[in-house]
Amino acid sequence: MNFLGFGQNADIEITLDDADKRKTAEIRVEENRKEKLLLYYDGEGVSGKIDIKLKKSGAKLEHHGIKVEFIGQIELYYDRGNHLEFTSLVKELAGPGDLTQSCSFTFDFPQVEKPYESYTGNNVKLRYFIRVVIARRMSDIVREQEIIVHTLSSYPDVNNSIKMEVGIEDCLHIEFEYNKSKYHLKDIIVGKIYFLLVRIKIKHMELAIIKRELSGSTPSLFQDSETIAKFEIMDGAPVKGESIPIRLFLAGYDIAPTMKDINKKFSVRYFLNLVLVDEEERRYFKQQEIILWRKGEKLRKGQPPPVTNAMQTYTATSTVRADPQEDASDEED
Amino acid sequence: MDEQEKLLEECMRNVKQESFQMKRCMDKDRLMDAIKHASTILMELRTSSLTPKNYYELFMGVCAELNHLQIFMLDEFAKGNRLTELYELVQYASNIIPRLYLLVTVGVVFIKSNENSRKDIMKDLVEMCRGVQHPLRGLFLRNYLLQETKHVLPDVADAPLASSDNGETNSVLTQSGTVFDSVDFILANFAEMNKLWVRMQHQGHSRDKVRRERERQELRLLVGTNLVRLSQLESIDIEKYSKHVLPGVLEQTVSCRDAIAQEYLMECVIQVFPDEFHLETLSTLLKACSELQPGLPPSLTLSPSFPLEDIVALEVALVNLALKCYPDRTDLVDQVLQNVDVIFQKQHVDEVPGDSAVCKELAKLLKIPLDHYQDILTVLQLPNYGKILAYLNFKPRKEISLYVAHNIVDHCTIISQQEQVEALLVMLTPLIEDHASFPVDPTDEEFVEEQTVVGKLIHFLKAEELDQQYLILGIARKFFGNGGIHRVCYTLPTILFAAYDLAYSYYLSEAEDPKWSKKCQKIFQFCHQTISVLAKLELFEVSVRLFLQGALAVSRTPFENNEQVAYEYMTQAFSIYEEEISDSKLQMMCVLLVIGTLEKIECFTEENHEPLRTQCALAAAKLLKKPDQCRALVAAANVFWSGKVRGGDAELRDTKRVMDCLKKALRVASQCMDNLVKIQLYVEVVDAYSLFQLRGVDQVTDETIVQMLQKIQEELPTLDVSDESVHINKYFQNSLDQLKKTKPELPF
Repeated sequence: MNFLGFGQNADIEITLDDADKRKTAEIRVEENRKEKLLLYYDGEGVSGKIDIKLKKSGAKLEHHGIKVEFIGQIELYYDRGNHLEFTSLVKELAGPGDLTQSCSFTFDFPQVEKPYESYTGNNVKLRYFIRVVIARRMSDIVREQEIIVHTLSSYPDVNNSIKMEVGIEDCLHIEFEYNKSKYHLKDIIVGKIYFLLVRIKIKHMELAIIKRELSGSTPSLFQDSETIAKFEIMDGAPVKGESIPIRLFLAGYDIAPTMKDINKKFSVRYFLNLVLVDEEERRYFKQQEIILWRKGEKLRKGQPPPVTNAMQTYTATSTVRADPQEDASDEED
Repeated sequence: MDEQEKLLEECMRNVKQESFQMKRCMDKDRLMDAIKHASTILMELRTSSLTPKNYYELFMGVCAELNHLQIFMLDEFAKGNRLTELYELVQYASNIIPRLYLLVTVGVVFIKSNENSRKDIMKDLVEMCRGVQHPLRGLFLRNYLLQETKHVLPDVADAPLASSDNGETNSVLTQSGTVFDSVDFILANFAEMNKLWVRMQHQGHSRDKVRRERERQELRLLVGTNLVRLSQLESIDIEKYSKHVLPGVLEQTVSCRDAIAQEYLMECVIQVFPDEFHLETLSTLLKACSELQPGLPPSLTLSPSFPLEDIVALEVALVNLALKCYPDRTDLVDQVLQNVDVIFQKQHVDEVPGDSAVCKELAKLLKIPLDHYQDILTVLQLPNYGKILAYLNFKPRKEISLYVAHNIVDHCTIISQQEQVEALLVMLTPLIEDHASFPVDPTDEEFVEEQTVVGKLIHFLKAEELDQQYLILGIARKFFGNGGIHRVCYTLPTILFAAYDLAYSYYLSEAEDPKWSKKCQKIFQFCHQTISVLAKLELFEVSVRLFLQGALAVSRTPFENNEQVAYEYMTQAFSIYEEEISDSKLQMMCVLLVIGTLEKIECFTEENHEPLRTQCALAAAKLLKKPDQCRALVAAANVFWSGKVRGGDAELRDTKRVMDCLKKALRVASQCMDNLVKIQLYVEVVDAYSLFQLRGVDQVTDETIVQMLQKIQEELPTLDVSDESVHINKYFQNSLDQLKKTKPELPF
């Protein structure tokens, strides 16, 4: 703030330690813009250096104190002014006084708890940042530096396959199987669709990944669905007895771990939607929730994963029954 | 330009544009961008609007572009850029057609660059292609797969044993695969392609059936290529073929229950694999054939008839194959015939219409064993041959019968077993019996030729045992007896001659068979009956001849009582002559035959001979025309001179009766009004005189002869000059010359 063209002002620069070595990640900041930021995990310390450069040499900067904060907050878009901070750490860098020359501070938040993953959704945003504030009488000088947090999970203890028979009586009976119910973000969804009865003229079949974001609380509850992926898995009409392989690489899509009831403010859940389209463009579908989680990356150096990783197929746990017409469908979509 | 061409042109234009972009990316070494453009190119193959022909055009265009991409990727690999994640990356494509084409392309690049993962990649590709269930697009996708993997299929029989110090060699080979992996790969691809191909038949309107079938025919090569590929695997030997290849192919072929597919695939199997393989697996092949689609499902009765001719054509191929590989296994050939029979029965075919394609194929089928074996006996061993023959209607059946008959005559095949004869004659029924709707024209050259062959054929019905031969003749007689007036005159005489021969054979082996005499009697009784049949049919001339021939045969076969039998034969000949033959020329001929026969017969006692020879002279004298009388009398004279009676070796030498005949002949000659004829007869009679004189008839004096000669010399100049008179002059001159040689003392 520089009223009337006089008075001192300062630039604040935040340099996080190991900025050149640390891994980065991208996050959506606007509709079509992504930003590359430094990546932190839960429990990691966040440290760095702050440079304050006075804009006019010789003039002093009067302040009410300088502090650095580490903040994790949730912004609900319908309630812009009211951010919820679920984490807030503060360090005083200097007490009230005058700055007569540019100066530097170091800071260190050791073992910072970062319980949630950074997230930018359609109605909600969860972000972490370092904020340096030079408090002043009229207007503070503030500088924020955002970071990205990824939450890592360990392998789920239980990870059953998803298997289900669905159908429309005397019209279409299928049985589908996905190899797991919980997938990490670079995982491969492998599965099979068995056609037990086909009396409609199917044109094609696709697998969609749908993200469902639920934010706020009653009465201001917002729900938003977004199709993340649309993946054609079959072209043409199969006949009874065919089995169609599914192999979908999640790595190719912009997805994040499933988030459930984050700070009682929002949830982000993912669904696999199997869609069959017939020649009259009617859609038959079945949605199944899948849990997405982030796996810690442990790359063995110099050894790329073998090609066979990209060839996973689902070994059936069930076979097509001899006469599927006999068991009437109890689940219809 | 029609709609289709426009569509195709547009697709091709898009391909070209994207291809240009793709190549620019490749020039700049931007592989991922190049792949993106390739993916856009491949989007064109998602179209549903092109006919199979045009889709093929488009496919070829796209393949050419993918080839550029493949070469580029191979170069990258060769440079050491190991793009392991590429196999995953191309699978991000959200549309399945581009995704799978790219996957195949990349997969093949991987295989070509490093064979270690070959086995897995092959398995993965063939499995992932299941995602395309649209027949046309699926067929082409899988064709692309097959075409791209053409040169990279593992073709080694087995993984060599692991070397002692480490197992690496083995594991590498296990991963790069053996020929078994190739077989599994192709069979899987084949099964899926065939299913897609068959499925085409059942999609869309039934009114488009013809078009659909045509389109399917256009696409069949895509399916067949799988079999070709299998046949190109060099490490497949007979054992692997029969255990791993053929069962899979046949299983799919049989279970698809589609006539077009079955016909084509069986043909393919037979064509692409070597004959030695078929030889080893013939029974499997034949069994599969019997399980092929017998007809259309009942719900499709509206459609035109099932191409039976194609099934039969297929069987023709099979028979050829069976004969080629296994010339001795008649059961295999018969099996094929049985298959046809079963198929016909299932389709309720009672008779195949003549001139139909089925008929032609069937005739072809039936001729093969004949041509091959050159031996009707082998063909007769095929129990189902006759059954199939029976499906043909009269004309083609006759054609086959004639073919059989010619075959026997040309190859001199002796048919010696009773059953064989019976079976053969059943087979030849169209030649033996009249058919209600095909009247016979006895003057037709073809008919004459045909019956002549049948007549010849009878000579080849010949048992080694005489008793057997008798039975065979009985059977033949039974069959040919139904032939009707136009045929029996060709067939029964042959049987009779064979019977006469048989009797003589019994006589020759009289020492071995004490009952020979009785058997001969029986034979002649049989012959008598047979000739009577001919006589009843008013075939008089031939009856007379046969009776006379019979009499001769009896005479030379001295069985008990043969004189009576011979007498009976002679009298039969006489009575037919007297009662039934009215044509004077025929009469003349018959009399001469009777006279000639009697002269040769030696079994008559005087008691029987006397009335017969008298009858001869009488018959001669009773002929209508003078010249005939004259000549017959001269002939009759011979009987009185050189005829023989039983017991005596000597000739009759009845001078008086000889002279009676000759004098009478001379008298008759002199009664002729026509000088020309008269002089001709004189010459002949004087010839006879001089001949008898030579033979010892002492009542003929030189004087008489000279008188006659003078008489002729006087008369000769009175003849008008004509061809005949010149001829007579010459004749006379010859007679004179002859006479002068024997009797130089005569004053001529």
